[in-house]
Amino acid sequence: MSVDRAEVDRIAQLARLSLGDEEADRLTAEMNVILAHVELLRTVDSEGSRTTQLREGEEKVSVIQGARDEIGTPDPLSESPSTFAPEWEEGFFVVPPLPGVVAEDDEG
Amino acid sequence: MTAADSLERIRREESLDSGLNAFVSLAGVRAMETAVGSLSEVGRGTAGNERGVLGGRFVAVKDNLVTLDLPVTCGSNMLAGYRSPFEATAVRLLRKAGGIVVGKTNMDEFGMGSSTENSAWGPTLNPHDRTRVPGGSSGGSAAAVAAGYVSMALGSDTGGSVRQPAALCGVVGIKPTYGRVSRYGLVAFASSLDQIGTFGGSVHDAATLLAVISGHDRRDATSANRPPLSLADIVADPDAQGLAGITIGVPVEYFPDTLDTEVRSRTDRALYHLRAAGATVREVTLPNTDLAVPCYYVLAPAEASSNLARFDGVRFGQRVSAGSLLEMYQATRGEGMGLEVKRRIMLGTFALSAGYYDAYYGTAQRARVNIRADFERVFGQGVDLIFTPTTPSPAFRIGEKIDDPLAMYRQDIFTTPASLAGIPAMSVPIGSVQGLPVGGQLLAPWWEEVTMIQAARVLEATMNAS
Repeated sequence: MSVDRAEVDRIAQLARLSLGDEEADRLTAEMNVILAHVELLRTVDSEGSRTTQLREGEEKVSVIQGARDEIGTPDPLSESPSTFAPEWEEGFFVVPPLPGVVAEDDEG
Repeated sequence: MTAADSLERIRREESLDSGLNAFVSLAGVRAMETAVGSLSEVGRGTAGNERGVLGGRFVAVKDNLVTLDLPVTCGSNMLAGYRSPFEATAVRLLRKAGGIVVGKTNMDEFGMGSSTENSAWGPTLNPHDRTRVPGGSSGGSAAAVAAGYVSMALGSDTGGSVRQPAALCGVVGIKPTYGRVSRYGLVAFASSLDQIGTFGGSVHDAATLLAVISGHDRRDATSANRPPLSLADIVADPDAQGLAGITIGVPVEYFPDTLDTEVRSRTDRALYHLRAAGATVREVTLPNTDLAVPCYYVLAPAEASSNLARFDGVRFGQRVSAGSLLEMYQATRGEGMGLEVKRRIMLGTFALSAGYYDAYYGTAQRARVNIRADFERVFGQGVDLIFTPTTPSPAFRIGEKIDDPLAMYRQDIFTTPASLAGIPAMSVPIGSVQGLPVGGQLLAPWWEEVTMIQAARVLEATMNAS
């Protein structure tokens, strides 16, 4: 499987990444080299000797110990988010408007 | 050496053009002196119990572990100048045991790289040859120990990021079993693989620091509910019996024709010493080893693409202003992240996207099960430990592989399998080639760190004596 420049631009949109023109061209070429190498993984299900060693009925593919529920509480923060947030106002993180949404201040 | 002397030496040597660039930030003299001065009798180690085990020793901390007193940047412009409002469990434990944090060490951005060239703060140099890389991603920690700036350091290992730089810098590096050390306060890269590890100038030092930071932590849901590693077991003098009764497996897949001949000969010599110490050495096979690099470079980027979504310019870190919310996200991430991080986010987003999910992410998960099953089978057949080279070659030149991502990824060929299986593994110096260190890797079954560390101490002692 390979990707073309249009596909790379689509993935960059999904990943919320702005890429320069040269950067996107370079990543297109590099991703294809890496994806070609990754093709080796397909031998897992196609070669008899590589049949997945999952037990019958095993649904979740995980090799790590089952994680327990989140029962711990995080440490209290030593400082308020207001000290490190890019923009903070009256207890809220402030972000630019969604496209097509007019900020309150701009309303007549 | 006092705190002031130690910091002065680091500042003086690092300010030279030939400086290693091992540190991203250093503690203030006053802060360190205060920390030393505030050590209780217990903290100084005079009480002789485990809490004082580090007794005022200086420790470096990789810059993806958060502390209250120093910035945390993960080697990224995205977090330039950022200070965490809480402290990592591993750092809290090492301070409690009397360790003094000297500074934060350089790394590949967010842990992504095998050379420490992918840092927004410039590359770290290998102390053994400053035209070469120290390995990565914990290259700053490995170099700081190798240069003698500190006797021990914390790193993190996702696919080999402690073991590979340890090998290339000629120091000891340990990655424990997944779940042995709390990841609370470790900035996440690939959560099912990330594990905090330790560096030391000796097996004793690296293992001591590991014992100090190990143990259950309710703040990390993947932290195993097990007691900390026993310091007494770890620092006990190696058994007079040597390695009698221990069977060491040597997997044929780790000795391909392409293996550097000098690395092969150093590994053979180490195996000779292990045999001489009483171990039974036998050939084993781990037939899914060739799947490890492709499997790792699907799963780790997939997890990274999700974990790094948090760096969006909203709650903390840098923001690049733009007209709309979407443009702000894109501009902030596009400017704040380096090329390797973008490459992996793109790969991971692709592997998780509709239409490709099963072909890439699903297949890689199945490959991971096979890789783990290889180890289960070998360890179930009477093999106590596995021995391999840590890396396919000694340290390469700065710039040599930076424009060839696949060549860089292949550096991880011997370290990614243990990460994917979650088993403990460590690198021990086993000689050098024209002044460049070579590392040997010991792998053990889940939770069997003590056996691995004791064998490493025997190997270290016999190598030093020969």
